[in-house]
Amino acid sequence: MLTRQILARTAAVLSAAAMLCLCGPVVAQAQDEGGTKAARELRAEYDTAVKGKTIGYVPITLAAPISAEWGRMLEMEAAWRGMKYVVRDPNFDSAAQLQAVTALVNDKVDVLIVQNPSVTLLVKELKRAEAQGTHVIQINMASNYKSDAFVGADWHEVGRVLADEVVKQCGTASGKSGKVQIIQGELTAAASVDQVGAMLDVFSKDKNIKVVSNQAANWDANTALNITATVIQQNPDLCASVGFWGIMESGAAQAIRNAGKIDQVKVYASGEGSQLDCDQINQGNFTKFLNYKSTEQGHDLVQAAVGLLEGGVKPGTKQLAYFTIPEWVDKSNASGANCFAIPKAK
Amino acid sequence: MALDASAGGESKSVGSMLVQLLKKPSQEQIVLLLVLALLVIFSISLPGFSTLTNLLNLVRSISILGILGLGMGLIVISRGIDLSMVSIMAAAWSIPLNQMEAGLPIGWAILLSVFIAVLIGAINGIVIAFVEAPPLFVTLAASFVIYGVAFWIAPAWVVYAPKNAPVLLYPGQGLLFGIPMPIIVFLVAATVMHLFLSRTSVGRFVYGQGDNPEAARLAGIPLRPLIVLEYAIVAVLAWLAGLVWIGTTGSMQMSITQGTMVFDVILVVVLGGISLIGGRGSVLSVVVGCMLIGTLLNAFTIMDVNSEVQNIIRGMVLLAAILLDNWLHPRDEETARQGD
Repeated sequence: MLTRQILARTAAVLSAAAMLCLCGPVVAQAQDEGGTKAARELRAEYDTAVKGKTIGYVPITLAAPISAEWGRMLEMEAAWRGMKYVVRDPNFDSAAQLQAVTALVNDKVDVLIVQNPSVTLLVKELKRAEAQGTHVIQINMASNYKSDAFVGADWHEVGRVLADEVVKQCGTASGKSGKVQIIQGELTAAASVDQVGAMLDVFSKDKNIKVVSNQAANWDANTALNITATVIQQNPDLCASVGFWGIMESGAAQAIRNAGKIDQVKVYASGEGSQLDCDQINQGNFTKFLNYKSTEQGHDLVQAAVGLLEGGVKPGTKQLAYFTIPEWVDKSNASGANCFAIPKAK
Repeated sequence: MALDASAGGESKSVGSMLVQLLKKPSQEQIVLLLVLALLVIFSISLPGFSTLTNLLNLVRSISILGILGLGMGLIVISRGIDLSMVSIMAAAWSIPLNQMEAGLPIGWAILLSVFIAVLIGAINGIVIAFVEAPPLFVTLAASFVIYGVAFWIAPAWVVYAPKNAPVLLYPGQGLLFGIPMPIIVFLVAATVMHLFLSRTSVGRFVYGQGDNPEAARLAGIPLRPLIVLEYAIVAVLAWLAGLVWIGTTGSMQMSITQGTMVFDVILVVVLGGISLIGGRGSVLSVVVGCMLIGTLLNAFTIMDVNSEVQNIIRGMVLLAAILLDNWLHPRDEETARQGD
């Protein structure tokens, strides 16, 4: 009796176990299939939203390191998503840029990415693009018109961060002369105007800071060098020199080096963070560099485009902003991903 | 004949120059006096202006402009103009620098840059001399072509010079007896150009051509080869200015071709009294023109005058120089041809 019961139970347990063994993989497989299904669906939705869509890109020029790097990232990331990528290079010609934008709007690209040469030039075309259903993303240099998305640096923030560092090094607490030189890009460029405005606001709060020179070098290293040679000679106790672009400020650094003061004067620049900027840091020309990494900005551009396409946002209804984190680069981290290699133009 | 009237009084004695200065001063003399007056005023009013380092800075800052001005001066004296000069400077160097990154030895790079410059200059000259196209348009068009081609071959916004090339960087960076090399390069180039223009027969032909091309041709001057030579010399000076530029900044920026630099060069040339009508002025004109601009820029930087005001003053100085030129050299039927 007992033996039979035991046998029966054992058989039941065994058969249950066998059932489990048989069913286990089946159940697990069913769960797995559910998971992959969701992921597959997600990818399918993603692909429907972005695959085959066209991104049009019109920078001011493709030859500058910053816009070449955006272009490199756009091309690479668009290709991976199966998106089409069209680029027009107006090469600093405003009239050509306006024409290129008009042409891309007429072609009804899905996403239009522009770098504005001025706050007004492209506005009419950007509005027309949104009205006809093209998403418009503006990069780094915004216009007077807020389009679907803005990707780029907050120039006030960049100016403020630069100024805070200068105040830390040259302000009342530092015991230094407090004499500061500012080298602007162009007097009319919004990026320059906003940076200098924010800097002067910060400086006005510290009595020790004296701006001994505030000049525009028009993004040119040689002009920056000439101005700085005079400034350093007039103010041998200069505490800091700040320039709004690495390549331009390298001229100022050279003048300070020529005057034998490179170890006393703090040299700061803001910029896109190419290998050229890192070289300046590693050679001891720049004390610190405020990097608004154009590699990441290029990635952000694609993310903004994908977000707009996937979200099914109607062009012209939202104004999204993707601000870039400005990051200090100095000798300790001036390598690797903080310095992108200058892309070769095609 | 016309050839003698153009030398700016070099062969005259100091006494007769003074008499001429009091009777009717030439433009370069007026500008020279203006420069001296400004130097005195700024020395008194601006602390730190009259120090040796500042004056060296002042001259160093205008030496690239001055070297370009020597070439532009030559071509304007011959009644031409070269708007492609800055493009030649950038193109002649950006291509070899780009090739150096790919491993081209420095000697070959320098040869390549000279070759590019002379080639462009010769082409400019041949089109102007043999096709008889107006230099204004030929060189304007050339500047676009040069920029485009250079960019196509060396597609980089800024081309950096290799750091291990002291020979290449010395003319822009080095010091000789405490004097920055750019100043020395400028002075040597100015001296050579002065001797060429005033002491060689070819130099005298340039004045003859500028004064009255038809008369010069009738007098037996080989005008067409002369024009080709002139544009080639301009290109060589653009090359030299580029060499100094590379040493100063360690790089060549293609962006300068898109800027207004070429007009600054014309400004210093016209300012110093090299008339756009041709045949007038000398190397001294370029030097005093540069000194005036350099003095103003240096003083503005010391005073921290903002760039808008600087542009206004620069524009007004150019306008004043052109008015002065008009007053000193009224246009007449015989000589006024350029642009008419």
